[in-house]
Amino acid sequence: MDGTGAAEQGIAFDRVNKWYGQMHVLQDVTFSVAPGEKIVVCGPSGSGKSTMIRCINRLEEHQAGTIRVGGVEVNDQRRNIEQVRRRVGMVFQNFNLYPHLTILENCTLAQRWVRGTPRAEAEARAMRYLERVRIPDQARKYPGQLSGGQQQRVAIARSLCMEPEIMLFDEPTSALDPELVREVLDTMVSLAEEGMTMICVTHEMGFARQVADRVIFMDRGRIVESAHPDDFFSNPKEERSRLFLSQILH
Amino acid sequence: MTVIDWGYILAAFPDLMRGLGMTLMVSLLAILFSLLLGLAGCALRVSGIRPLSYAMRGYVEFIRGTPYLVQIFFVFYGLPSLGFTLSIFWSGVLALTIWASAFHIESFRAGLASVGREMHDASASLGLRRLPHALLVVAPIALRSALPSTLNTVVGTIKNSAYLQAIGLVELTFVAVDRIAQDFRSTEMFLSICVIYLVVILGVSALGHRLERRLNRPYGSR
Repeated sequence: MDGTGAAEQGIAFDRVNKWYGQMHVLQDVTFSVAPGEKIVVCGPSGSGKSTMIRCINRLEEHQAGTIRVGGVEVNDQRRNIEQVRRRVGMVFQNFNLYPHLTILENCTLAQRWVRGTPRAEAEARAMRYLERVRIPDQARKYPGQLSGGQQQRVAIARSLCMEPEIMLFDEPTSALDPELVREVLDTMVSLAEEGMTMICVTHEMGFARQVADRVIFMDRGRIVESAHPDDFFSNPKEERSRLFLSQILH
Repeated sequence: MTVIDWGYILAAFPDLMRGLGMTLMVSLLAILFSLLLGLAGCALRVSGIRPLSYAMRGYVEFIRGTPYLVQIFFVFYGLPSLGFTLSIFWSGVLALTIWASAFHIESFRAGLASVGREMHDASASLGLRRLPHALLVVAPIALRSALPSTLNTVVGTIKNSAYLQAIGLVELTFVAVDRIAQDFRSTEMFLSICVIYLVVILGVSALGHRLERRLNRPYGSR
């Protein structure tokens, strides 16, 4: 569970607040994630889910409160940000692959330029992870030649090449055709089974039931409810959670 | 009443080639310098530093909004009275560079606009620093969108070098006009230099299109 030890190892949010102009997009968000925990974050659009996980690796800045990742505070210190980004990988809704580079190059660019890994070693590691997401045969192709599901699996492999301790997923299946969702979720499930710490913003409730240790439900910038998926789905405590579930589960 | 005097063109050919040499030299230097300045200018334009950004906007508007010939005269006749005296050759290079840089700034800016926020997110999440991100991710993606209009400016630089005959630079057009003043063979001379300009520019365009195809390769075969 998320005891105090989690603050040193995993992720800890303490009364995090963020505003876009007048809009209060994160309101006193407090929670922690222990190493190896899998969290699913859900909630209506505009509830602050994406903003919240984008704060973890400083793609967004928070204005008040503290965020710690592995004991390192996420603030405007460049060294801290770099340290946190080394530990945290991220997968985006729209894959965000580099369109001008091959699949293999997508997976080696950061290895070579962030960690200074020699080319041969970087390519070997890339191929290992491409095999793990089951698309090694596409290594020489460009992202535009792949299906959305394949692209998203490449994006996962690209992230894993940096060997992160924590993976963030920001609606990884929302941009996919329905028949391609399964292959991406399968990859995520296998990652979860290997003990990766994961935070996933998703509306895939089947996935949440299967792997999540906790479901965090957000609405209007607040965490409304945080519960084990069995409790959350069968017996949500909050009215807003119930309403949300009734809208997405049918 | 007359047909074209091919013998006259043949006799003038060595002179025309010398003129072409000068045209190519002045254009090549201006293309090189303007691409570099355009890049730097575009960086300032999008730097977010207000005074620099406004200075670049002003520069672009000024060059775009004034006749090219006036700009040449300003460089050649105006700068000396401000204490900068340049040879005819370097005045030409400078005037062409100033003109082309303004257009490159705009092309590059359009190219940059085609690189979405997603690329920044991807690189940031992978820990890629600004410089490798700019050179290895942003530049190639931006260049692809910027290339067609950049090519226009490059070709325009070569064509606009013809104006430099007005300050006495002995380039291709100067040679032709000079001969016409002596021999009145305007049809032969203008026809000749048109063909020569066209050949050069078709060559440059072909190179440009090859680069375009190369940059488009990742996107083409969907």
